[in-house]
Amino acid sequence: MSEALLTQLVGLGAGAVLLTAVLVLWLRELAVVIRVFAAQGVALAGLVAVLAVHEGSGELAVVAVGVLVLRAGLLPHLLRRALSAAEGERRVTRPLVNVAASLLAAAVLTLLALAVSQPLVALAPSPVTAAIPVGMAVVLIGFFVLVTRRRALSQLTGFLLMDNGITAVGFLTGAGVALIVELGVFLDVLLAVLVLGVLTGRMRDVFGRTDLDELRELHD
Amino acid sequence: MNAVGAGLGVALLLALAAAVAAPLAPRTARPAVAGAGTALCGAAAVLAGVAALAGQRLTVELPGVLPLTGLTITVDALGGLFLAVVGAVAVATGIYAIGYGGPDGRGVQAALPLFVASMLLVPVAGNVGGFLLCWELMALTSLLLVAAEHRRRDEVASAARWYAVMTHVGFVAILIGLVVLAGHAVDDSFPALRSAGAQLEPATAGLVFVLTLVGFASKAGIVPLHAWLPRAHPEAPSHVSALMSAAMVTLGVYGIVRVGFDLLGGGTPWWWVLVLLLGAVSAVYGILQAAIATDLKALLACSTTENMGIVLVGVGAAGMFAGAGNLLLAGLALTAALLHVGNHSAFKTLLFLAAGSVLHATGTRDLDALGGLRAGMPVTTAAFGLGALSASALPLGAAFVSEWLLLQALVHGLAVGGVATAIVMPLAVATVALTAGLAVAAFVKAFGVGFLARPRSAAAARAHESPPTMLAGMAVAGVACAALALAPALVLPAVGRVGGALFGAADPLAAGLLVVRLQGFTGSLSPLLVAGAVLVGTAAVALGARLLAARSRDRTAVRLWDCGAGPLSARMEYTATSFAQPLQRVFDDVVRPEQDVDVTHHRESQYLVDAVRYRLRVPDRLEHGLYRPVLTAVAAWGRLGARLATGSIHLYLGYGFVAVCGLMVLLVAIR
Amino acid sequence: MSVAGITVALVQAVVVLVGSPLLLGIMRQVRARLEGRAGAGVLQPWRDLRKLMRKQPLTPRGTTEVFRMAPLVLMATTLAVVAVVPFVTTAAVPAAGADLFVVVALLTLGAVALALAGLDTGTAFGGMGASREITILALVEPTLLVGVLALSVPVGSTDLGDIVTSTLRDPGRVITPAHVLAAVALGLAVVAETGRLPVDNPSTHLELTMVHEAMVLEYAGPDLALVELASAMRLTVFLGLWATLFAPWGIAGTTGPGAVALGVAVFAVKVTALGAGLAGAEVFLAKLRLFRTPELLAGSFVLALLAVVASFFFG
Repeated sequence: MSEALLTQLVGLGAGAVLLTAVLVLWLRELAVVIRVFAAQGVALAGLVAVLAVHEGSGELAVVAVGVLVLRAGLLPHLLRRALSAAEGERRVTRPLVNVAASLLAAAVLTLLALAVSQPLVALAPSPVTAAIPVGMAVVLIGFFVLVTRRRALSQLTGFLLMDNGITAVGFLTGAGVALIVELGVFLDVLLAVLVLGVLTGRMRDVFGRTDLDELRELHD
Repeated sequence: MNAVGAGLGVALLLALAAAVAAPLAPRTARPAVAGAGTALCGAAAVLAGVAALAGQRLTVELPGVLPLTGLTITVDALGGLFLAVVGAVAVATGIYAIGYGGPDGRGVQAALPLFVASMLLVPVAGNVGGFLLCWELMALTSLLLVAAEHRRRDEVASAARWYAVMTHVGFVAILIGLVVLAGHAVDDSFPALRSAGAQLEPATAGLVFVLTLVGFASKAGIVPLHAWLPRAHPEAPSHVSALMSAAMVTLGVYGIVRVGFDLLGGGTPWWWVLVLLLGAVSAVYGILQAAIATDLKALLACSTTENMGIVLVGVGAAGMFAGAGNLLLAGLALTAALLHVGNHSAFKTLLFLAAGSVLHATGTRDLDALGGLRAGMPVTTAAFGLGALSASALPLGAAFVSEWLLLQALVHGLAVGGVATAIVMPLAVATVALTAGLAVAAFVKAFGVGFLARPRSAAAARAHESPPTMLAGMAVAGVACAALALAPALVLPAVGRVGGALFGAADPLAAGLLVVRLQGFTGSLSPLLVAGAVLVGTAAVALGARLLAARSRDRTAVRLWDCGAGPLSARMEYTATSFAQPLQRVFDDVVRPEQDVDVTHHRESQYLVDAVRYRLRVPDRLEHGLYRPVLTAVAAWGRLGARLATGSIHLYLGYGFVAVCGLMVLLVAIR
Repeated sequence: MSVAGITVALVQAVVVLVGSPLLLGIMRQVRARLEGRAGAGVLQPWRDLRKLMRKQPLTPRGTTEVFRMAPLVLMATTLAVVAVVPFVTTAAVPAAGADLFVVVALLTLGAVALALAGLDTGTAFGGMGASREITILALVEPTLLVGVLALSVPVGSTDLGDIVTSTLRDPGRVITPAHVLAAVALGLAVVAETGRLPVDNPSTHLELTMVHEAMVLEYAGPDLALVELASAMRLTVFLGLWATLFAPWGIAGTTGPGAVALGVAVFAVKVTALGAGLAGAEVFLAKLRLFRTPELLAGSFVLALLAVVASFFFG
């Protein structure tokens, strides 16, 4: 694969990942957010596939397929199931911070991610490592979503966004993330999703809503 | 594969097999499986230890067993000694546990062989990662065993919490110390640490030593980190108390000797003065608490603190002598300390097993409610009597030989190191003497009040002898006690070699079957001859009295002298509290008991008394003085911190987010 | 041990066995005369022993073997000490040595046996006597061992034979500060261990003031005879030890019969003189309250500690 083509494809993939992250921050309807998240999964899988072709590694190709199945298939499916179980509620999310401020914050976080990732990129300059700041930005945006959303499912999407960003950084730094570590991390994430799904159901049973602010009542 | 490897391998395999088999066995057979497995494991470990003491060595590297560091097993003479001690204790307690009707839950029964296995691995671990892992495994399994009876009594949970916190505080101290040392070395194996220790600056070496001393001294029950001992040992099942008191606390001593003498190469004299002072204070404080205690197992636990204090006096003296250049005397002091470790394990096992037998038969540990057990439990009484004789460091007891050796080392060491030793040695001798006197008081009280005379309560009157396996376990420990008392030559040459080799000196003792002779100094002792003289004398006097007394065949039983007022009731007997009262008054400033007198008057008249209630409590004053401020400060910090928890999840997540972003900004700014 | 050694040991045992009631009688007679009484005569303790041996042996109900065996153990430990300590000659000390620590420990063992017997009776008096005796024993141990340390520093050994031989070779040592301080300290310790005034009154009849007598209140007949004899022997042994350590002249260096006879005679004279002096001093002393005794023993401990310091810096 030529240098120019590689740069373009990597740029395309990374850009898609960042764009979907911003969209998750911007959109209000949860069903749409989940679809956008699935798209991010596809973009991430594409990025890994490009790396696999560039390095000619069969293992990376297998990982790409795995990422596609898990992050674009299984996780959105679980999220949709949790959403449908929360029928009867308003489907829109009302974040703590209004949309305009959130988008401004996303921009600031991207700049911060760029500043922090400079030394990493400087270690081994290449078209692949140049996309690391994008991954860092996705992590920070995902964290921001996690902090500022009221409903449990929205927070969950933020958490999964963070995980996608970390995976992206991992593959881009070419650390050769071992299959077993990736599997381990994924199992952790799966567990978090399942737990939060159960939590959402329990909260709905007790409070009637899945508004996490209700948990403030537990303060002593 | 030599004998050491074979023995150790068999021991570990047996322990694992017992740990796996015990949960699978039916409920009634679980204690038998776990106990038998533990006993066999202990026997194999004794063989391995004896082979190591005889000169065989073993080094095995297992990189795959643990992540990050792997496990290295290195068996040398010092490790072999502790292997043998732990194994012997495991044999006696394993046999005892077969018949002991304690908790038989799956986890508890599986934890017993695992506990013994982890205690066997600690003296042979050859790298930092392996050592720390085995240490933590030992703590976790023992915690599970201590908390075994938490459903039956409330105090067990509190005791387990104290134990958990204190053992982990000690673990953190050891972790930091060893990691600092390993940081200066090539890798974390002990040979690398040894060479790093030789080149370490005095300040860093001092820091490492103090940190590891804190951790190991806490495990050995040394003041001021002793508070877990009198809480955890009484609440654990008796065979677990025996294992903890006789095997686990000795591993604290092993750690101090290994890190101080072996890895750090001796260090500066002030280290060992500190060790000696800590040991002396612990010895006096521990035995004072024991002399005043009325709970039988708390008395034995405080006695463990005292004995470990004496061991540390010996270790500290050895370090001081080595620093002053007299290596032969240092070897003698360390030999005395290590022999005392072995003796203490023997008699403490015997005492705890006998106390467990008493608890099993009467259901109470309170000395003020016991008594008159000789009639119903003759074997247990004899066993406790033998253990008490050994524990009070009297001739014919096991601890006499080791205390004699220690006193000889201290006496000959007076002139060795200049003014420092001239001041410290007499104080050390005085401390050993005072603890010997108070130990006599404590054990005369325990044996005399607890087992002799008449029963003080209905529970004691109902006492019956224990099942045969429990008696067999006590018999094993008793035989070991008697052997160590009468024929210390069985173990002294090996222990003397260990003590001498650690300093690169010659053997400090020449121990024949009859006489133990010091090398390089004048001094000799013949335990067998002393015992023989006393026994022959007793027989001769008995014969003489029988011959000379005119009416020796008319011996009759009569009533006790009761001043003509009628038969004495059990309430008129002297209790343990009353026996200890003069000592408590003499040491009032240290002990400071709390007394409460509650007088209820008659309804009709203020001058007539209906009932009087008297309560005496002897709290641990050191604990009050040292722990209470620390705990109050921690609670205050906790209350301050509670203000940060408002209940809003967004705030909590926000803390994390702000922290991460702040760190990143800092990273950017610093560069 | 050689034949000569065994003979000397037997001689010492017989001398102490026969002489200790005599010593007791002499002490009581000295005290009586000083108090203006006629006294019962020097042989009265022997007459008491003979009377007791003729009585029926009794065992109180509810006691165990410990009660019956304690007088035997007490006597046996005292005899064991008598057999090895060089009262009359230093040449008969056994090859294994007569270590001073072992001697002190054996004497403690005897006292412990009696305390256990006191507890075994299950009466308040027995327990009280045992409790007080054990307290005094515990507090006297530091003085004894530190005193032994002070004596062993100039000699380099704690073996009794070595200490005596070295003092005989260098008589000027007796008046060194270390020795004098140790003599006073160990003298107070001897008074405490043998239960003489001011620590304990051996002729009191009030049970609440008893220490030693309360422990043995239940003994009667031949058992009481053994206890009395053993106590008298303990007194002799302690006085003899003090004399051997601090006034060793007259102790023979060989095992020839003439030397041994001289040694026996000198030993008897020394012990009698010490006993008479002690009895005379007792006339002017009152028994201390039990809780004043620790002060006395602490004082003796400080003297022993000063003896060690003196022996190191000036010895």
